[in-house]
Parts: sequence; structure tokens; C-alpha cells
Amino acid sequence: MTQPLNGMCVVEIGDSIAGSACTKTFSDYGARVIKVEPFSGNKIRRMPPFKGDIPDINGGAYHLAFDTGKESIIVDYSSNSGLEVLDRLYQLSDLVIFDTTVEKTKKLRSMINGVKYPSTVSITPHGMSGPFQDRRENDMSILAWTTRMYRNSMENMSPLRNAPGSTLVQIGHTAAAVAVGIYWGHQHDQIRRDAEVAGVEAILGNVDTGFVSWIFTGNLPERIGGQLKTRYPTGIYPCKDGYVILSANEEPWFSRLCHAIGHPEILEDERFTKDRENNWHAFMEYLGPYLDQHDKNYIFTHLQEHGVMVAPVLNASDLLDDPQAKARKSFVKIDSAIGEHFLAGAPFHLNKMNDKSFKLESAPKLGEHTNTLLKELDYSKEEIIALFRAKIIG
Amino acid sequence: MGNASLEGLKIIEMTEAWAGPVCASLMGDMGADVIKVESFPRHSLTRPTSPRYATMPGDGPVYERDALHHQGNRNKRNIAIDIRTESGNQILKKLLSDADVFIEGYAAGKIEKLGFGWKDVQKINPNITMISIAGWGLEGPYKKMVTLGAGLDATTGHLSLRGYPEGDFVDTHPNFHSDATGSSTIFFAALTALLQRQKSKTGTFIDLSQWEGLVWQFPTILAEWTMNQRIPERLGNDDPHIVPHGVYRTIDDDKWIVVAAEDDQQWEGLCKIIDRIEWSEISHKYSSIVGRIKGREEIDNAIESFTKQYEGFNAAEILQNNNVIASPVVTPPDVLLSSQLHDRSWHQTITHKWTGPVMVGGFLWDVEPDSLSWDIPTALVGQHNEEILIELGYDEKKISEFYTNGSIGNHYEN
Repeated sequence: MTQPLNGMCVVEIGDSIAGSACTKTFSDYGARVIKVEPFSGNKIRRMPPFKGDIPDINGGAYHLAFDTGKESIIVDYSSNSGLEVLDRLYQLSDLVIFDTTVEKTKKLRSMINGVKYPSTVSITPHGMSGPFQDRRENDMSILAWTTRMYRNSMENMSPLRNAPGSTLVQIGHTAAAVAVGIYWGHQHDQIRRDAEVAGVEAILGNVDTGFVSWIFTGNLPERIGGQLKTRYPTGIYPCKDGYVILSANEEPWFSRLCHAIGHPEILEDERFTKDRENNWHAFMEYLGPYLDQHDKNYIFTHLQEHGVMVAPVLNASDLLDDPQAKARKSFVKIDSAIGEHFLAGAPFHLNKMNDKSFKLESAPKLGEHTNTLLKELDYSKEEIIALFRAKIIG
Repeated sequence: MGNASLEGLKIIEMTEAWAGPVCASLMGDMGADVIKVESFPRHSLTRPTSPRYATMPGDGPVYERDALHHQGNRNKRNIAIDIRTESGNQILKKLLSDADVFIEGYAAGKIEKLGFGWKDVQKINPNITMISIAGWGLEGPYKKMVTLGAGLDATTGHLSLRGYPEGDFVDTHPNFHSDATGSSTIFFAALTALLQRQKSKTGTFIDLSQWEGLVWQFPTILAEWTMNQRIPERLGNDDPHIVPHGVYRTIDDDKWIVVAAEDDQQWEGLCKIIDRIEWSEISHKYSSIVGRIKGREEIDNAIESFTKQYEGFNAAEILQNNNVIASPVVTPPDVLLSSQLHDRSWHQTITHKWTGPVMVGGFLWDVEPDSLSWDIPTALVGQHNEEILIELGYDEKKISEFYTNGSIGNHYEN
């Protein structure tokens, strides 16, 4: 069976996690993805961890995970000769993803104009216009602009980021959505489109922001840590062997929880029926002993049997052995530059599980496909040598 | 709709909370005809019937004034159906009969019991793409389990990386990152299936585990374990290989700024601004990346001595003008003050029957030559019942009957 995106060609030009994360899903579902890299390699190749903590341009964790199945070509496009190579790549492709500075993006995108060219998506921190367009940002500083760091903190304590890299991944994945959308549009109305994803806007406009709530209510987000003691139980709670996270403050989950822990009388107790927000400590006299006596996996399965939203807090060592992950083959063994290792598998399954629409192939070595691609772009042997001598390709 | 990329596609969305609803809004932004099949007579999670923390004060039904609902439901028409009734069941069948995509968010197994499992839907419309977005997917031992985004955050290992490194773990704020990223995963899955349909000429069923849709986005968690048998630790805002990389106090109480210098050029710019130009000279131990890694505390203190003299927006401006990565840690009111967002006309003002004119967040992307527009502010419960039912071929008498027998509705009981 062919993969759903077979026949589609995406060119990725950029230097951050976002562009690589954007094109990964295209690649894994069958699109051909050509990654244009500088001689030093895309920045993502230099991001740890590395096996044995030994830096390896072909062995970084982000590169191995996000560049699966792609082709790598080294092009220095700072001169006309390099730009000419890009122009041929553009004409080969259905979609071009830019993830570089605004100045470079504007220059590279200006070459794309006319029916023979593909649609484009440009990823930048603040967008391609406005007073902040040239600002330097990173994963954390973009998140700071979105109210999330402020919310991820306690009063008068330092705001906190999410996991390193996750902001740029979210921006890249947002770009993947609009990219596949405009590709669909181009297929149906033959209109070439240029989409723009400003990282701050992509995250600020999504749901988990405090902006709209503040507009509606005038209330700032509560910065009181993991346990809401007025609307409970919600948040992180310690148990016998670790932690669980509960979302059982509203009905019907609160009632279900009270029954599950063997204390339905709470539901008749005036402390909780009339003044629950001031009686968290009293409530914990019921919930606390239950949590102390049981481990996180028992609590997970037991409370879920009663329809309570609860989950164990897992760490890296738990993931591969997680029963659900094992049953669904959520992690896939792959052979790459560092030997065999595991990567996350399909983010969605077409036609039920275990179909062939998703396929992980190893990430390319730096410049692994330069020669074959140049031949495909109709360069002669002598022309390829000329470009190589002039340090345009590598 | 303003954007035509998805024009001609009909999307039926029957989901709650955020990931599913937001995905459908994004499709609406791009021109698809999105119909939200609203739960009735049970109100959904984001339509509470009594006021709560996210409810806008004012008149009218509480369930029409909840911020969490408004955030995820623009650019859709709304029909409120009790699909457990015979008539409601028939209406949904008609809706699905010519739809391109059906997104459902029930717990695994429930949609089959309601008569709309894949085998049923396929019979109604063999060309449809149906997506089920149960938290842990439709197969496996956790398939019946229920969760919100915070549970997915916990079980993918993301939560274990967040929080204050020296603090109590229970003080880590629950996070709904998966709701934001889930919407784009569902979007991508739907379009992938539609592109496949162009070749196969037949519909597709998608089992989308929101857990699997999230876990690939944290590659270092698994890599640290499988490459080096290490469990990643909580780092707070530090980066072990970059100094400075942190969050610092400003002149205002409990207001903060992010500052980072990732290379020697950014470092030189920073040294100039914090009045430590000698720290960037070749003879100084902090002029190299390696030297700076050893001097994190002293460098952080010097930076904070500077940032504490300024308001965050101003400090960021000064630092950025000298090539330094810097941004204020914004609060919701600060979003209104951003000159960048205003320059790009990002904020949107909509008018809604019960909220009145209200400013909301803007779009996630921009597309030329199309223009995105907020054509339908969050719809009222059942706002488009009549319009949609007439399109489906029902007459006014029948529609009246549906209201009477409770198959459809346009308000909830408290």
C-alpha cells in the first residue's frame, strides 16, 4: 500500500527545531522531504542529548527523531550560484517551508512567484512585519510572550518554561497544519499561497492562554502551584510511590471520586456541600489516607474504573514499559547512525492500527543526498564538480 | 468565510473541551463549512450552567459566557441534538451523509453504542473521514480511560520535567499543552486522510490517541533513557550548555524578563549593556562559553542587577537592540500592550449576543492571498438549528416537532 502523502515533495529551509518538526509528519506519512542545510549542518543536529554524551553531527536526539526519512542536501545559498540550486529545488517541490530570519526568508521567498512555483510557509518568532520582526528569540523567550510562563509559576517566584524545545515544536506543528491546508487548497483551486506562522501568535492564539479568560472576567490566572485548594481535587497529589494528577473538582467526577475512595458521606457533608472552597484540609482527611496506601498505577486503574479523571506522573524510564504504549506499539525500534534505538511512532493511525500509512525511516547523514539530488535537478557531472569546488554544495 | 483553502469541505465536529473544538475552528478559519453538533440536553464541559472562574459577568445564559468555550469555537455553525432520540439519530445521519470529515471525542466504545461507530458511519457515507480522538486511543488496556490535557502531560513524561528544581513537585502547575498541540494533530490527520481519499476514492477511519499525538514532541525524554539510561531532571529555566539562560526580576514587583546569550556575539552585546564590557574581552574567564558555564551564579546576579532597574518591556528593548535574546514575561494585560501585535492587527474584536463587543486572541497563522476572518463568533447553543435542518430537507412543522419531542434544543436547564 502506498502512503497517503506519496508523490508530494516538501523542501525545508531553516535552522531551528520548528522547521524540522513541521516537515517530520509529512515525511513519516510518505511525502518526500528535502532538507537544505548549511555546511555546518542544521542547528538541530547539534542539540543534545547524544549517545554516550559524545557530540555527533548525525547522532543528536532531535535530529534522529525529527529528520526521519528526509533527504539532506548541503547548499550555501548566500551567492547566486547557491540561489540557482534553490530555484531548481523550488520547482521540484509542492511546498517550501522557511524557518530562518525574516531578512533571509524575504529574499528566498521573493524568488517564488508564478504558477510553476509551490506554496510556502514562513516560520518566524514575531512574523514578517512589525517593530519586533528582527528580534532574536529562542524557545523560552517566545514562550515568555504568550502568558504561559507567567501562569506556570507561583506568586513572587520565577515564571517557568515548559520542556526545552517544546515551544518550537508546537510552532512547527502549527505550521504543519496550515501547510497541509494550503497544499490541499492548491490542489483544488490551483492558487499558490504564502502562509506565515509567527511563533508568538501561533501560541498566544491557541487555547491554553490566560488572555481570553482575563478579557472575559478581569481576573488574572491563579499562580498558586499544582493544587487548587478552593476547587479540588485538581492538580498533583503525592501517593505511595510517586504522584498522580487529578481532575475531579467538578461534577460528575467529584461524586465518583468520593464513592471510589469509599467515602460517599462527603457528598452529604455540609462542609463540602455548602462551603467546599474553605475545607480542603478536611477533605484531605479522606483522600490523603487513600493516596498514601496505594501506588500510582493502582490509583490510576482503580479510580478510572469509577470514571474519575486521574493519571500517574510518569518519567522516561516508565514510557517504554507502559502497558498502553506496548499494546499499541507506540514506540518503534529504528536503526540509525547511532545503532538501534527507540523513537515515538505514529501520532495517528489511518484505517485502524498497524496499517502502512506511517513509516519511520532513519534520519539522513549531513549532505547524504547532495549528489543524487543535484543529478535529479539536471546538473551535469562537470557542473556538480564546479559547484563543489566553489563551496556552493557539500 | 474569508479563506478559501478548505472551501467546499464539510466538517461535522462532535467534541468537547479544547483539542477537537479548536481543530474544527482552524478548519473554519480556512474556509471549511464546520458544523458543531452540540451535546443536548447535557451541557458540555465548557458550557457550565452556573457561574465559575471563567464566566463573564452579565446577563443571559451562563453557558454562553464562558471564556473557555469561546476560545475554541469560532467559525462554526451550531446544531444541538439529542442523538439518543430517534429523530436526533436521523438528523445526525443526514448530516454525515455528505460530510467530508467527522470528528468525535467520546470515550472509546461510546460512539458505537450510540449507533455511529465506524461500521455504521461507513454505511451512511463511504467517502467520509472519521476521526476518534479518545485520550489513549481506541485500542489497548487504557482505551476506556478518561483524561484532560493535564493527564496526558503527566503520562508522557512532560510533567516530570517541569516545575521548580529545588521546590516541592506538587507546586508544579497543571499544563494543557496537549490541548493546543492536539488541535494541529487532528487537523493534519484529517487532511492526510482526505489526500489519501483522492487516490483511494474511499473513506478512512483514524484512531488518534492524543497521548501518541503528544509523546513524539518530547524526543529528549525518551532519548536520555534509551541512549544514556538517564532520567532527565527538572532544569527550571536553565540550559546546561548556555549561560546566561534564565528569568530575572525587573523593577516591578513580581514582573520578570527572559534573558539569554547563546553565542559570543550576543554575550558581547550583553556585557556592554550590563556594564561588564571586560567580561567579553579575550583575557577574561567569562569571554568563552566554557568560562561562562562555570560562572552561572555571578553572571545571573550581574544581569539581575541590570534588569531590576527597568520595566520588562524597556529592558527587553535595550537588550534586543544589542543583539541579546530578551523578552518580558507577559501577563494577560500585557498582551494588550504589545506594539508588535497591534502593528500586525492581531487582536480581534467580535460581537456576540451575550458578551457584547469583546476582544479576543487572533489567528494562529496568516495566509496570502486569502484573508482570515472571524465570520462566526462562538455560536449560541442550537443557533443554527433551523438553518441546518432546512438545508437537510426538514420543514418548519417538522422542526417544531423536534423541539417539542426534545430531539433538538437551544437552551440548557440550570
